Amino acid sequence: MNSLGKYSRSVSIIGVGCTPFMYTVDNPETNGLTEGEMFGYAALKAMEDAGVNPKDVDFYFHGCASPLNGSNYLTPNVQIANWFGMKGKGSIHHSEACCTGYLAIEQAVNAVASGKYDCVLTGAVEFGDSTPAPADNVESPKHPYKRDKMTMEKFLKTTAWLYDRTYTRSLMAGQELIYDDAAEWYVRTRHISAEDMNNTLNWMCINNRKNASVNPLAIERRTYESLAEEAGMTLEEYMNSPYNPKMGDFLRAGGLELKCDGAAAVIVCATEKIPEIAKNLKHKPIEVLGIGSAACEATTPHFEVRATEEAVRQVYELTGLSGEDLDLFYSNDFIITSHLVSAEIAGYLPYGEGWKYICDGRTAWDGDKPINTNGGRTSFGHAHAASGLADMYEACKQMWGECGEHQVKFTPKTTMLRGYGGAQNVAAIIVRTLDEE
Amino acid sequence: MAIKLEKVVERFYEGLEEGKILGRKCPECGNVEFPPVYACNECGNYETEWYEISGKAKLHSIVLPAALSSKPEYKNLGKFAYGEVELEEGTRLNAVVRGISKKNRAELTEKLPLNCHASIFQREGGFKTVVFDLDEE
Repeated sequence: MNSLGKYSRSVSIIGVGCTPFMYTVDNPETNGLTEGEMFGYAALKAMEDAGVNPKDVDFYFHGCASPLNGSNYLTPNVQIANWFGMKGKGSIHHSEACCTGYLAIEQAVNAVASGKYDCVLTGAVEFGDSTPAPADNVESPKHPYKRDKMTMEKFLKTTAWLYDRTYTRSLMAGQELIYDDAAEWYVRTRHISAEDMNNTLNWMCINNRKNASVNPLAIERRTYESLAEEAGMTLEEYMNSPYNPKMGDFLRAGGLELKCDGAAAVIVCATEKIPEIAKNLKHKPIEVLGIGSAACEATTPHFEVRATEEAVRQVYELTGLSGEDLDLFYSNDFIITSHLVSAEIAGYLPYGEGWKYICDGRTAWDGDKPINTNGGRTSFGHAHAASGLADMYEACKQMWGECGEHQVKFTPKTTMLRGYGGAQNVAAIIVRTLDEE
Repeated sequence: MAIKLEKVVERFYEGLEEGKILGRKCPECGNVEFPPVYACNECGNYETEWYEISGKAKLHSIVLPAALSSKPEYKNLGKFAYGEVELEEGTRLNAVVRGISKKNRAELTEKLPLNCHASIFQREGGFKTVVFDLDEE
């Protein structure tokens, strides 16, 4: 087991940017948007938010989960630097699929903590809902900006690429257990009934949607209460009806990600250099205290649970913190069960009791234990690589008290983001608002 | 022994054609890697040696296939579930276990862990793989 070392110097987040998460091709106003425009918008908004000029930024990290399929690029970082004033600056592209946006923070913080750079941009863009036109195959010549909708059938075929070709796909179980393994594990280890798990899964959907309903950047803002009313049903009837069909052993359709398009970016800076670099600083810096990480290939039993336990252990050992110190929690819940299991493993919700907090609505944005205040992957949306940075955008905005209609009812100071994805990478990130000097 | 550039994956699948289920055993700590890989993930030893697993195993969890978690070609498996399987040698992996259905799921879940054994199964695409079958009571 790894023990993390302290960063060589303190690193803080000083600015964030995020596009709305959207289905770009469905709307004439957004149909035709390109990678440079999406990433460029998020990057420039983050720089503006940080009060820095592109010339102040030394290097950038570029995340995209599936650049060949979604953008027809092998080196997506190289193609877009000039869109946000960083022409000629060094950059790296990385992909850890759905965990990309969380490990994007790790990459940037390490680059600054090492002393190599003082100020770094880390961003990600993903077109999860469309591919460059024509959407026939990756080899055919593509139109400069037109895109075609990506069918669910094609998307599911590409998700096979997340799994080991030599053994896992052949053995069949690893890639299929992603949907229900965590639910089965929770039911068996916490001794709750399948019915209680069903209600908990439904309430995570309801709470996520409540959060998204007051977040202008979220892709789906219709509350389940309003959908039930339209269908002439009670909320409970609706959540257990064919409108929300059972798709897995436990999982219903509402517990699955809304794959979509989006971009997000964050500026990190050496804390000691902030007065020199960010002359127009607008917020209190948010220090990255530590990031635990672990990865379990999908043949590993209970891969999500095991990797989350290890990543959380590492970051708590490093920081001396525990779940009781956390004010706010984000979990990459493209399979919504993640939301429950990771919050309990992190000790943000008490062992064996988390499902009750969720069913009582205490984890919605206005509750005492808020989770995924932006709406999570099932309502904010999932632009795969960009989602982690969109969560960091939301976390920082909450910590700065800038979330308007969905501002939590207290001032959060310490937040954990549990990244997950890529069959399966996990990151446990703890950030804390710096005290005034 | 020395670190070798060796075709482990091909040998594994060839073994299945011969009716053998092969893993790799660590000469230092005795850990068995299954499916087979070069190094030992228990003690970190660089090398492991071919080892035919006994096939005896225990099933620790049951997840039934559903719309999202199945494929048309899995029909050839008959009734099955996914779960955590522990080989007699101690190795644990996610695997397919045949003989489990909606009908007997509750009863079997009560009895976990369940004895099972490895079987060789012909997949579409011209290769064989490993699944597990519940032991006859």
